[in-house]
Amino acid sequence: MRRPHPRAPRRFRTISSLVTAAALALGAAACGGGGSESSNGTITLTVDTFSTFGYEELFARYEADHPGIKIKHRNVVQLDEYLPRLERWIAAGRGAGDVVALEEGILTKFMAQPDRFVNLLDHGAGSMQGGFLDWKWKQALTRDGKHLVGLGTDVGGLAMCYRTDLFAKAGLPTDREKVGALWRTWDDYIATGRRYTGKVKDAKFVDGAVNLYNSILAQQASQTVGHTYFDTGDKLVAGTNPAVRSAWDTTVKMQQAGLSAGLKSFEPSWGTGLKEARFATIACPSWMLGVIKENAGAQAAGKWDVAAIPGGAGSRGGSFLAVPKQSAHPKEAAELAKFLTGPDSQITAFKARNNLPSSPKALGDPAVTSFRNEYFSDAPVGEIYAGGAKALRPLYLGADNNPVGQRFEDALLALEQGKLAPDAAWRKALADAEREAR
Amino acid sequence: MIITGPRGRRRGGTVAALWGAGPLTRIMLAATIVLSMFPIYWMFVVATRTNDVVGSVPPPVVPGGELGGNLARLFGDEQARFTLGLVNSAIAASTVTVSTLLFASLAGFAFAKLRFRGRNAALLVMLATMMVPVQMGIIPLYMLMAEIGWTGRLQAVIVPFLVTGFGVFMMRQYTLQALPDELIEAARIDGCSTPRIYWSVVLPVLRPAMAVLGLFTFMQTWNEFIWPLAVLDPDNPTVQYSLNLLNGAYYTDYSLMFTGTAVATLPLLAIFLLFGRQLIGGIMDGALKA
Amino acid sequence: MSAPVHVRSRPSPKAAPPPSGRAGGGGWSGRLSRWDIRFSPYLFISPYFLLFALFGLFPMGYTLWVAMHDWELIGSREFTGLENFRLVLTDPQFWNSVYNTAGMFVVATVPQLVMALLLANALNRRMRGQTLLRMGVLAPMVTSIAAVAIVFSQLFSRDFGLVNWVLGWFGVEGLDWAAQRWSAWLAISVMVDWRWTGYNALIYLAAMQSIPRDLYEAAAIDGASRRRQFWTITLPMLRPTIIFTAIISTIGGFQLFTEPLLFGNGDMAGGSLRQFQTVTMYMFENAFTRFDYGYASAVSWLLFLLILLGSLLNFLWLRRVGGGRA
Repeated sequence: MRRPHPRAPRRFRTISSLVTAAALALGAAACGGGGSESSNGTITLTVDTFSTFGYEELFARYEADHPGIKIKHRNVVQLDEYLPRLERWIAAGRGAGDVVALEEGILTKFMAQPDRFVNLLDHGAGSMQGGFLDWKWKQALTRDGKHLVGLGTDVGGLAMCYRTDLFAKAGLPTDREKVGALWRTWDDYIATGRRYTGKVKDAKFVDGAVNLYNSILAQQASQTVGHTYFDTGDKLVAGTNPAVRSAWDTTVKMQQAGLSAGLKSFEPSWGTGLKEARFATIACPSWMLGVIKENAGAQAAGKWDVAAIPGGAGSRGGSFLAVPKQSAHPKEAAELAKFLTGPDSQITAFKARNNLPSSPKALGDPAVTSFRNEYFSDAPVGEIYAGGAKALRPLYLGADNNPVGQRFEDALLALEQGKLAPDAAWRKALADAEREAR
Repeated sequence: MIITGPRGRRRGGTVAALWGAGPLTRIMLAATIVLSMFPIYWMFVVATRTNDVVGSVPPPVVPGGELGGNLARLFGDEQARFTLGLVNSAIAASTVTVSTLLFASLAGFAFAKLRFRGRNAALLVMLATMMVPVQMGIIPLYMLMAEIGWTGRLQAVIVPFLVTGFGVFMMRQYTLQALPDELIEAARIDGCSTPRIYWSVVLPVLRPAMAVLGLFTFMQTWNEFIWPLAVLDPDNPTVQYSLNLLNGAYYTDYSLMFTGTAVATLPLLAIFLLFGRQLIGGIMDGALKA
Repeated sequence: MSAPVHVRSRPSPKAAPPPSGRAGGGGWSGRLSRWDIRFSPYLFISPYFLLFALFGLFPMGYTLWVAMHDWELIGSREFTGLENFRLVLTDPQFWNSVYNTAGMFVVATVPQLVMALLLANALNRRMRGQTLLRMGVLAPMVTSIAAVAIVFSQLFSRDFGLVNWVLGWFGVEGLDWAAQRWSAWLAISVMVDWRWTGYNALIYLAAMQSIPRDLYEAAAIDGASRRRQFWTITLPMLRPTIIFTAIISTIGGFQLFTEPLLFGNGDMAGGSLRQFQTVTMYMFENAFTRFDYGYASAVSWLLFLLILLGSLLNFLWLRRVGGGRA
């Protein structure tokens, strides 16, 4: 936020040299750390990602085209684990990869210290501007327009995934067009859930409050005010932002109607719930498709389908690639980042993992628009997601977006656990948000 | 008061009535053993089955035939780097164990049998250090490691733990009890230097206690969780860190995770089966109670 | 928990008589010998103190220094004196974590020590396969906390856990163990107790075997039942041992961290309403999630003082009880 990381106090340095001396004396040989030492002219670039980026094929291709470059890929699956680690690496000035993935929630935090990252405009990225959705480009650009921190990878276009077998059991239509027509609005969605719950007893309608809430919030906020918990001046406005309140109210209504399986997204029990078909619908940003497939497993192939999301277009999540200043090979790293975020690469990544491109060119490419996902009943996911993506509007997330969001999730969880009434949960979420933003 | 098991070998009705185990005792012990063993057994059951084990009712209680496949997936998992984790843990645990034994026995011997200025003060300081919670140092220790560039490197989980106050204290207590002063005296009269006395007189006597301390230290280093997680990176994990990497997936594969825990536990179980007798002997002899 | 140490103060045998420098009459070898006697002890203890100074004392002092600053990992570092301590002491989330830590300590430790006593009493009987039995009760100690937490979290899971499956026979359906404070505490305590009860039992067993058997035989002749013998002979003789295990459990219990963390799937906040967040977890949340190092350091110092206080109380109690016995 304020000053950049100052140098460590001198005392610290003295002691550290003592420690080093002691360690050497004790014969603790240093083991090769993660780095980019060049031997015989080969440069190793380390790429840090989380979840799934679908880059395996691209890495192989890049290495083949650039004989002097080797790519080391480090992936941490959980974003919650990736973020603090990355933040420590960046703050410590060492340890980070040469190219690092920044989820949009992390990016906003780092936008406050752009000088910790290489300015990609210095490496000729400026010519790529037309290759990105305008707001995606601007998200990673400092306000003075002079420092580009990251290049966009994907956006999190929204849709609603549902299980056709459970819908059939409930006597609901299973065709994705008709299903989409069932729920133009969130109220329709809840009404459909009521109908469903009247017929099917052994599986709930919605996976849980947390995932639904986050999806509605991203959607409503981008359609209206353009920010969530913090306004563009980084002032906490969670209590007064109508988008937050609306997402909250819809979620509570859903929960009070008894539609929720009460599972928190990405926890092991949520994964098991997917595998055991414990719920019929789940709001699914494009990057969620791969997650659903992996958890639900082969026995659910062809049982899931994708329909339009109630309430219109929205984006949740999406990432960037950046090059930390600490990289020993900023030039080569920037080239790699540019390659990975180019339209063609975005198409490759989309085919691998359904990460929706942030490039209009890629979004309009037949390879994307005509793409069907076999696992999801051969749904034309390219068309479903890409269709809405160009209509997406920017969404501003504050630097403390993640911790504040977690407090809202906690309050919703407490509501689902029957520990708090809706009003009390809302008040608690707001109070805890104040604490996080302090 | 010296604690040794009184192995009263007297025979007769009174003794049997007094010390025999009644049916209630036997039932309780059997139940305890079952409860102690079940989670470990369950770990191996799930490790030998597919992930379907989790949803099935009733849960299976006998091993299946998927161990080979699970092992292949475990060691083939690119994120968890399990083989590297095992190797790293073996290196760290062995190094820490050897050095703890060396430094703790040296210091323990000095505190127990040598006279020097400030001995009592130093001893008191050492005892006080045993009260310091381990976690307290993690934040500054992490900052220190970051400063000297050790984050992500194996020495970060080795060097700070090369000797512990617990080890020194245990060695001191055992030396006091097991090493007669006459032995040292005699060695001195023979013209032995202090290092020589340590090597030829003290070390052999300390062997049983060192076995216990060694086992303990190895187990603890092998099982250490928080610190490696804080200071290491996912591409250079210890085995417990690898376990966490398996656990941290969006996709929860219980059979994979349990295979991981089983493999991570197996070396310690093997050591325990081989040396458990000594360990129990050590605890019972008061080596750990000092 | 770190390995609990059973510390028993014992009248130490007389220290060695002063080395009688007879070996060193004079000259080079004499000087060498004098140096040896003078400096060897320091040489022997120096590795420990050197390492402790670097990795124990320095971090502690540095934590105090950091605690007096508004110290963010990225961003400002400003001297604020005792402000962090004031904030922590008036922070309900901090006191909540203290309450949880103390609560879980009681819920875990009291049954653990009682069970260990009963178990030791049972193991003290004469029967076949003693070593095997002892190894059996000690085996859980070998498994890592991470392994224990992974296995038990699955056992206690809401929808597909073995424990809920068994409870289903008794008409209890789908208990969400993490949702309630009591059930979360209970589940976490089970993990802790499973791992440590056997170890404490062996320590009690060792102490029990040092009780002269004549006492029991005399009591038996007087017609005292086994239960009565346990209450009138075993328990009083074991008192100091029990207190010591209690102290060790205090130190371990106040550092409780990994079990609740993994029980909550890595959530530093310890449940939706922080119903099982311990002090150590709160410290980590501030350091590694909020990146407020100054605040986290203040929490860690207060934790240290809490442990010191707890141990001191135990120690005073011990002195009283121990004094009565000797």
